[in-house]
Amino acid sequence: MIHLQNVSKKFGQRLAVDDLTLLVPAGEIFGLLGHNGAGKSTAIGMMLGQVWPTAGDVKICGHDIAGSRKLALQKVGAIFEAPVFYDYLSGWRNLEILSHYTARCSPARIREVIAWVGLSGREKGAVRTYSHGMRARLALAQALLPQPELLILDEPGDGLDPEGIHEMRQTILRLRQELGLTILLSSHLLSEMELLCTRIAVMNQGRKVFEGAMAETRRTRGWVRLRTSNFAQAAALLREAGLIEQDRGEKFILPAGGIGTDQIVAHLVARQQAVFEIAPEEETLENFYLSLMRK
Amino acid sequence: MFYYQLRNELWKLFGKKRTYIGFGICLLAEAINILLFRYAHNPRRYLVRHLELMGYSSDKYITNLTMATSVLVPVAFVLLPLYVALVGGDLMAKEAEDGTLRMILARPISRLRLVTIKWLAGAIFSILLALVLGGFGILFASFFFPSGGLFALLPLDGLFSIFNEAEGWQHYAAATLALSANAITIMGLAWMFSCCNVKPAAATILALSVVLTSRVIQEIPYFHDWQAWFITYHLSLWMRTFQQPVPLGDIAQSLSILLGFNFTFFIIGSSIFQMRDIKS
Repeated sequence: MIHLQNVSKKFGQRLAVDDLTLLVPAGEIFGLLGHNGAGKSTAIGMMLGQVWPTAGDVKICGHDIAGSRKLALQKVGAIFEAPVFYDYLSGWRNLEILSHYTARCSPARIREVIAWVGLSGREKGAVRTYSHGMRARLALAQALLPQPELLILDEPGDGLDPEGIHEMRQTILRLRQELGLTILLSSHLLSEMELLCTRIAVMNQGRKVFEGAMAETRRTRGWVRLRTSNFAQAAALLREAGLIEQDRGEKFILPAGGIGTDQIVAHLVARQQAVFEIAPEEETLENFYLSLMRK
Repeated sequence: MFYYQLRNELWKLFGKKRTYIGFGICLLAEAINILLFRYAHNPRRYLVRHLELMGYSSDKYITNLTMATSVLVPVAFVLLPLYVALVGGDLMAKEAEDGTLRMILARPISRLRLVTIKWLAGAIFSILLALVLGGFGILFASFFFPSGGLFALLPLDGLFSIFNEAEGWQHYAAATLALSANAITIMGLAWMFSCCNVKPAAATILALSVVLTSRVIQEIPYFHDWQAWFITYHLSLWMRTFQQPVPLGDIAQSLSILLGFNFTFFIIGSSIFQMRDIKS
């Protein structure tokens, strides 16, 4: 659905995006992570034809965004952080105005989308009277009106309270399950990204430093969490027997090559060491992200 | 789709309260001017003295048409440029500042079409403001002054003209229409600046600065022979509709030059907007 090939963007002398290649397959919830100024919004701007790349090609839904913008964006919806509207107009009028930039939209379709996002009954009120959560729903409604196949969400959780974030998460999952949308999600909320995304790309100072399935970020790298009556003694016994390579933090051991946790448990139990817990260490997205940033 | 997009642009423009500030202030200024002419001694005496110096009866020419024309001059020189520049400066820059431009440009609309509908909405506003000014001026003047001939007095431009009532109406209508060309051009200038990466106020101020600078230089005696080179000379074409005989060739030339200016502003503005990166 999205294909960026060796895309770069310079603002004056500053390189905002450096040789970015990104592929977002259909049906994924794809997370774009990075610190402020990492180049996420610039990359999204280039996907939507709002920012002109200095080099490289951007294809959306199989169409080149620079040459065939109209075709490329025909089935795309987008939501940006802190949704803004024409506050003095009603929600309904805002939807009409924004949808007409794509194609004419029937009142029945507008009603259907308003019902889907849960704004029925409030659509005739001026947007200035809407809460932040209602604005977020209206933003979703405007993105859904052209019946998109791809939804681009740039920091959609910004400014939402915990309930709003929960609602946003459920909505994104519904969008994928009920409407089968491909979703590109850029956010700072790592815990949310961990719960939602099937694939992620991490950007640091304009460069992509990781792209892969979410499962890859949770890989254990071999460390095992071990809880015993005496960790230091257990670790010494295991090291003496050549069953582990290292231990760290009174909690983790790194088994030697080819050694399974069953062998470790059997060895410790045979030496009267009580084993309360043994499990592979699962890395959080936050740890994974921070380790990438430190590199 | 073009019709719906233009209609939506007008909804946006006329849905904003600040759009009506221009109408409100201009109409208020006209009303105050007419009331001053009606009830204050000095302004009226000024007109009467000039009429009598030229050998005309003040009774016949202190009329609704004369008063409407007299109040149109200050409004057209000061307030009209201010409010059309305000709206023109808002058209693109306010959307960029508010963030709605990013929402629009996430849609498959071309930038050229977007700037075109914005410019057209601004042009419709400018025409409406000029027509409402002309219409309200004569309406309000008719409440306080009798109908009759038209005495057009513009001392700065050396214009003293007398028309009978039928001719007066024609000249007044022509001036109001020509004022639309003035309003559209100033709006287009502000719109052009608004297409750049600037704040709405900066676009308005830049446009007004160009108009005022041109006017100031044009009025310096040294540049008098070159005045046809200044945009403000052509913006004043509406005043030439009060000359006797009407310099049709001169007016047509000014209209063509204003058309050229508008075209240039449009090309520059749309090219800048086309090349710009739209960021949050």
